[in-house]
Amino acid sequence: MNQGSNPLPEGVETLGRIGLIAGLVGLALLGAGYATDREQLFRSYLTGYMWMLGLAAGALGVMLLHHVTRGAWGVVIRRILEAAASPLTLGFAAVAFLPIALGTHSLYEWTHAEVVAGDAILSHKKPWLNEPAFLGRSAAYLVLWIVLAAVFARLSARQDETGDRRIALSMQRWGAFGVVAFILSMTFAAFDWMMSLTPHWFSTIYGLYVIIGQAVAAMALVALAGLLLGEGPSPALPLQPRHLHDHGKLLFAFVCVWAYFGYSQFIIIWSGNLPEETTFYTSRLNGAWKVTTIVLVLLHYALPFALLLSRNRKRSAKALAPVAVLLLFARWLDLHWLVAPAFSANAFTLHWLDLAAPLALGGIWLRLFTLGLKARPLLPANEPFLKEALAHE
Amino acid sequence: MHGTHPEPSLHGVLAEFRTPDELLAAIESARAAGYTKLDAYTPYPIEKVLDALDLHHSKVPLLTLGAAIFGAVAVFSFAYWASAIDYPLNIGGRPLNSWPAFIPATFEGAVFHGGLAAALGMLVLNGLPRPHHPVFEVKRFVEHASKDGYFLLVEAEDPQFDVSAVRRLLEGLGPVEVNDLEN
Amino acid sequence: MSIRFDDVRGADPIAQPPVLAPGHTPASVTERISEAVTTKLTKTPKWWLGGFAVGFALLNVFLFAVTNLFMTGIGVWGNNIPVGWGWDIICFVWWIGIGHAGTLISAILLLLRQSWRNSINRFAEAMTVFAVACAGMYPILHLGRPWLPHWLLPLPGTLGMWPNFRSPLIWDVFAVSTYATISIVFWYVGMLPDLATLRDHAKARLARFAYGMAALGWRNSSRHWANYEVASLLLAGLSTPLVLSVHSIVSFDFSVGIVPGWHTTVFPPYFVAGAVFAGFAMVLTLVLPLRPLFKLHDFITERHLQNMAKVMLTTGLIVAYGYVLEIWAAFYSGNEFEIFMVLNRFTGPYATQYWLLILLNIAIPQLLWLKGIRSNVWALWAISMCINVGMWLERFVIIVVSLHRDYVPSNWAMYSGTKFDVMTFVGTMGLFLTLLLLFIRFLPALNMFEMRILTPEATKAHGEEK
Repeated sequence: MNQGSNPLPEGVETLGRIGLIAGLVGLALLGAGYATDREQLFRSYLTGYMWMLGLAAGALGVMLLHHVTRGAWGVVIRRILEAAASPLTLGFAAVAFLPIALGTHSLYEWTHAEVVAGDAILSHKKPWLNEPAFLGRSAAYLVLWIVLAAVFARLSARQDETGDRRIALSMQRWGAFGVVAFILSMTFAAFDWMMSLTPHWFSTIYGLYVIIGQAVAAMALVALAGLLLGEGPSPALPLQPRHLHDHGKLLFAFVCVWAYFGYSQFIIIWSGNLPEETTFYTSRLNGAWKVTTIVLVLLHYALPFALLLSRNRKRSAKALAPVAVLLLFARWLDLHWLVAPAFSANAFTLHWLDLAAPLALGGIWLRLFTLGLKARPLLPANEPFLKEALAHE
Repeated sequence: MHGTHPEPSLHGVLAEFRTPDELLAAIESARAAGYTKLDAYTPYPIEKVLDALDLHHSKVPLLTLGAAIFGAVAVFSFAYWASAIDYPLNIGGRPLNSWPAFIPATFEGAVFHGGLAAALGMLVLNGLPRPHHPVFEVKRFVEHASKDGYFLLVEAEDPQFDVSAVRRLLEGLGPVEVNDLEN
Repeated sequence: MSIRFDDVRGADPIAQPPVLAPGHTPASVTERISEAVTTKLTKTPKWWLGGFAVGFALLNVFLFAVTNLFMTGIGVWGNNIPVGWGWDIICFVWWIGIGHAGTLISAILLLLRQSWRNSINRFAEAMTVFAVACAGMYPILHLGRPWLPHWLLPLPGTLGMWPNFRSPLIWDVFAVSTYATISIVFWYVGMLPDLATLRDHAKARLARFAYGMAALGWRNSSRHWANYEVASLLLAGLSTPLVLSVHSIVSFDFSVGIVPGWHTTVFPPYFVAGAVFAGFAMVLTLVLPLRPLFKLHDFITERHLQNMAKVMLTTGLIVAYGYVLEIWAAFYSGNEFEIFMVLNRFTGPYATQYWLLILLNIAIPQLLWLKGIRSNVWALWAISMCINVGMWLERFVIIVVSLHRDYVPSNWAMYSGTKFDVMTFVGTMGLFLTLLLLFIRFLPALNMFEMRILTPEATKAHGEEK
């Protein structure tokens, strides 16, 4: 097994540089936005933040899933996931949360004491929806994710150094604990950061809907990284068609589950037809956001579903890449569709800051991701299942 | 079949081997000798045998996809027609075209038709049901084909088919036994 | 043949017990498994006869209960306003949920190429088919006019009307009938090669003829296998979303209505997880005693028990997630009816059932985190029984506790099942047991051709399979 010793392609370095430049340009644009349209800035920033978090935290979730289930599909992409969800990238997510913490007054209606005082339901929710509790919980989520990422980075480094076969077992145990902690924390993060934008409205599947979207983002990222690292005559990462096939199948499954969660929420609210719940769909289904909804279903479900049915497309990194790009865009659209109507129920909005925010945050994340890729060998050499995972069909 | 030329009534020549590897080697030899109408019999599916016989072009997926699309379209159209056209009825103030509520039945329609097409398509493409077949005349085939025997059949339809040449080839490959199969 | 797993595991900390005990060949696997089916009728094991007697007796209890129901009417059951759905739908959901583990094992694990499923998939699929048969009894019995079940289907008739496609109950008709059909098809297709094996190896003439007819002339041809493998994967690919949809639609029966305790958006995934949870518990409940009775330790190894325990733990945690969110959302919503519903569960007249449910479904299964518990067959069986009861109670709590406190307090009432409710439920267990015992006596309960794949001889030739 001397595969995997090939150097990283030039593209990684270039991509890191592009990421840095994009990040800096994006930050400058956000600065300009802060000076010109502060309210809009926070809205766009929240969407962009959740989009970037989807890449980092989604990769964390998929990595935890891999450690629990231990499939060959995950061994070959473990380092990609570790780079995407490193203490560095999640630490950046924690820092990048500061503007949201500072902008609560612009984002969340329930932070306005006079509004809460005049609203019986918001007054009732005060024990949960108040700023100290919100900030405390947010800090707890972010710390938890950083700790999880750090634990796996450390275990992974120790495995590289010592080759102790028991580390794989520790990773599995931490994975089991991690999945539980991750799903619970991300559920409430989604409730706090996004669902409480419309504080009267609630839906218990909302957290799972956001989490599965992040999983889609993470697998789309894996597909693109596969194109970057696994192509050419001497690829840095020896990806075989069957690995790509597995990644494609996971992407397909996550896209379907996303649609399933989305439809479940919709049909239950649509059929129940209770005024306190239907507010979410009145603007998105009948009003100004109707076209966005249709486009979202097409781009996030119908089109990728049809494309990913093909076995050959799933087995080729080149053919999979356009679908992955499409889905990364659809991820942003989904988040925009969740966030923006909360501020503008009666008119479709698309502001230049909506693009600047993902550019800034995604760019910096990309830079940190490439740093993570460069830091370690691309294959976990002492992973006990590596040989099995690399075996040819 | 006395008195006539034996070949028209011949189905083929069947050789039995002890292991999958021997069978694979036999398939290669037979293909190298130019035979194309080959079939193998193994007690479980073996990827390499399917590769060697170039059997990876099943039409079952296409049939399934077609049937699933048909099922979805048929059920949705029916639900729409029944609820909005044939017997329009206001139920709980919901629209006559309650498309969100038609989706579960539509989905089930797709799975129902797709699943049946996959199963029936597999049977039809395999020429089943067919209770009898010349291979069953071979005693060792009945005893071992579904347990631990690996068989290679060179069919009489093969353009190059010649009983004695085929027998010579197969007997040279170290089989357990070789049998002519009569139709 | 009686090598124990810990002898072969060695010192490697990450090594897992094998999925098939060492020393087997395709022939030995075939002989061992077909033995259970091809033994002479006169040599049927005593435990089978005893089990069948019990099952058949209970089946007669079912017939008695149903006869009484048909002659008297639905009034013999405890259902009444406000609790218009009682044991009948509780047991319907319970049974259909049990079936889902079978589909999960046979379909999803096939897609995930988990070879440990090969020895238990057939049994699990059979369990699915029989559990769906039991579940299917309830909607028809509850019709009130059980001679008109075809009215459920969109058939043209003199009424000129069609079923209401806006109602989850008609979605249920589509879902359950599709599920029953596709489960039977999947099961039968999976059995074809093994029926051919039995045709070739059965001793009695009648058996050879019967298995021969059922095998449809299957002859293990590679051309057959090529289409067969593709069809199996497609059926698995279709069954996977199907099983999700079936229990999601069952959850829609409740959640699209606006009864507090029913109407919450997390219901579909939480119901699906609960179904798989209950189903795996039932698989273990049945497999653990069958393993010593049929001496199946070579085929159902500790690896299987460990893995099934882990699936149970995982799905149990998803169920717990659902419970937590329901409670959280009730208080977060500020809706007084939702809050009342939760408090009523905690402290109302059915609080005992609620806390028992939490104990059996959530607290006790946490023991499965411990490897010692997962590899102890007695503990595993006890926990499975807890989950079987716990999942029944879950449906009781969801259905009865939600309904018995209507919006208008003058409608409040208590509910309890009658002896005919109990007899019907116990009777369906008889139906299940009877079918299951007939299955393991006359059909191959373990998948022979897929077990052959797991032998060293086959893995060498097979390539992709591990």
